[in-house]
Amino acid sequence: MLHNSRKPSWRRLALDAAALSSLAFILVPLVFVTWLAFFKQEIPSFPPEGYTFHWFSSMLTQKAIIDGFVTSIEVGVVATLIGLALGVPAALGLVRYTSWWSGAASTFLLLPLVVPAIVLGTAIYVAEVEAEILVYGFGIETPVIGTIGGLIAAHALIVIPWVVRLVTASLVGFDRSIEEAAQNLGATPFATLRRITLPVIRPGVVAAALFAFVISFSNLELSLFLVGAGRTTLPIAILQYLEWKIDPTIAAASVVQIAIIAAAMLVTDRFVKLTQVV
Amino acid sequence: MTLATSEVAIVRPRSRRPSSMALALIGPATLFCLLQLLVPVAILFRYSLNRFDPASYMVDALTAENYVKFFTDPYYLTVLARTIRVSVVSTLICLVMGFPLAYWLARMTSRWKNLMVILVVLPLFIGNAVRAAGWMTLFGAKGFINSVLLGSGIIDQPLTLMYTEMAVVVGIITVNLPFMVLTLQSVIEGIARPIEEAALSLGAAPFQTFRRVVWPLALPGTLAGTILTFILAMNAYATPVLLGGPKFTMMGPLVYDQFSQSNNWPFGAAVSFVLMATTLGLTFIAHTALRRRRVG
Repeated sequence: MLHNSRKPSWRRLALDAAALSSLAFILVPLVFVTWLAFFKQEIPSFPPEGYTFHWFSSMLTQKAIIDGFVTSIEVGVVATLIGLALGVPAALGLVRYTSWWSGAASTFLLLPLVVPAIVLGTAIYVAEVEAEILVYGFGIETPVIGTIGGLIAAHALIVIPWVVRLVTASLVGFDRSIEEAAQNLGATPFATLRRITLPVIRPGVVAAALFAFVISFSNLELSLFLVGAGRTTLPIAILQYLEWKIDPTIAAASVVQIAIIAAAMLVTDRFVKLTQVV
Repeated sequence: MTLATSEVAIVRPRSRRPSSMALALIGPATLFCLLQLLVPVAILFRYSLNRFDPASYMVDALTAENYVKFFTDPYYLTVLARTIRVSVVSTLICLVMGFPLAYWLARMTSRWKNLMVILVVLPLFIGNAVRAAGWMTLFGAKGFINSVLLGSGIIDQPLTLMYTEMAVVVGIITVNLPFMVLTLQSVIEGIARPIEEAALSLGAAPFQTFRRVVWPLALPGTLAGTILTFILAMNAYATPVLLGGPKFTMMGPLVYDQFSQSNNWPFGAAVSFVLMATTLGLTFIAHTALRRRRVG
């Protein structure tokens, strides 16, 4: 505040203290997980007996975690691509055309954010059951329940609201007369899209892709119902391990996850300032 | 004539067939959500009216007995009450803790701002189980808190911190606080600083400025952030499972157990709908109440 900028007052200090303690509270669990990953002894007791990098190599022998990691990457990438393919045109359409049904559609496209993930997970699971009964009724013996396709489709659903939100946000303040000018000058609608519109929304699309991937990658509640037998995602593998015990091995796996996501965010921050999209 | 028509077409090229173009753009995503969201939720609702039979699991029926079972059994009512209590408490604490941080971030002008925002956003993407693991290392019988307190002689018996309601509330706050902060921050950034400065220079005390200017203007964001964190708390899964333990059941884990362990799909579907209806109902009440206060 202006009046505070002349000299630091106790109010300014109180605000700093309150803000920093809230920030610390958010970060405390991550700090402790990271610390635990380097403990020498296996049982998490304090103070640690020493430090080692050993757990990062023992982590690699945990088959469930490695498999889960691979599945999560696969599902995340494909769900993101589907989410972008469906969500980016929808955002363009919603910003551009207003009619009685586009308003309803815009509310509807945000619905996957509002319906609780655990309810959505059960609902999609029972729908897969019904779909499999239907498919077998036609004499086609293709499994539907617990397939990776079903998992990807469900992840694509929860990714769409984020894509629509972020791309719509990047179109706010976009002067449409630029597009009209291009078309008046003889550009085809496709050329206008490629040469004018897409460059303008590119930061929004990059941010949407990142968010979509991370939303899928970190999802637990939805996947819980939809992973088939013998398949897990990384969050499920971590949860199941932690239900059994907590030790430096699982902490090391978490640290690797934290590092990957932190790197992804720093890279994205180069393309589009996170302060503008979240 | 031809010229005139083509001129019209050039000036307003998009207005020729706007609705078919809009349909082509918006249609696929909408259709996908319809098939992937509304149809499954409708099927789930239908399942909740079926009857459970231990031998053949699910029998087609049209009965409300699953809902009756939920609302007449004290065990399930306790689970619901506990879920609401934990959600309300953690949401209020999120609001109290989130507002200063959001205001601080919104008014920050230094080059550290981006880093600070990343520090708030990053944990969002780490996954709830990992953050619960962090608290497990603090709360365990040999965890950090007990070690410090025992080592300094403040207590001589380790405190029971794990598998308590406090642990679950703390865990949920860490998970939800970033959502609250980001929602509030974006709204506070929209409040022009000169408005605040005007109030201050006209003699309003800083607290008065907050109460009469910042708070009312930030109310839509407060509402959005509160609703978001409340919905997330009501539906928490990993946090209550890991920090609350098997006996501290909340609604999310209850739904999952009905499907995965009891194989009672009709009842699990009914519990899902009770959860969804309670969440949306309480959200609606809070929304209306706050809006009325703002108008009045």
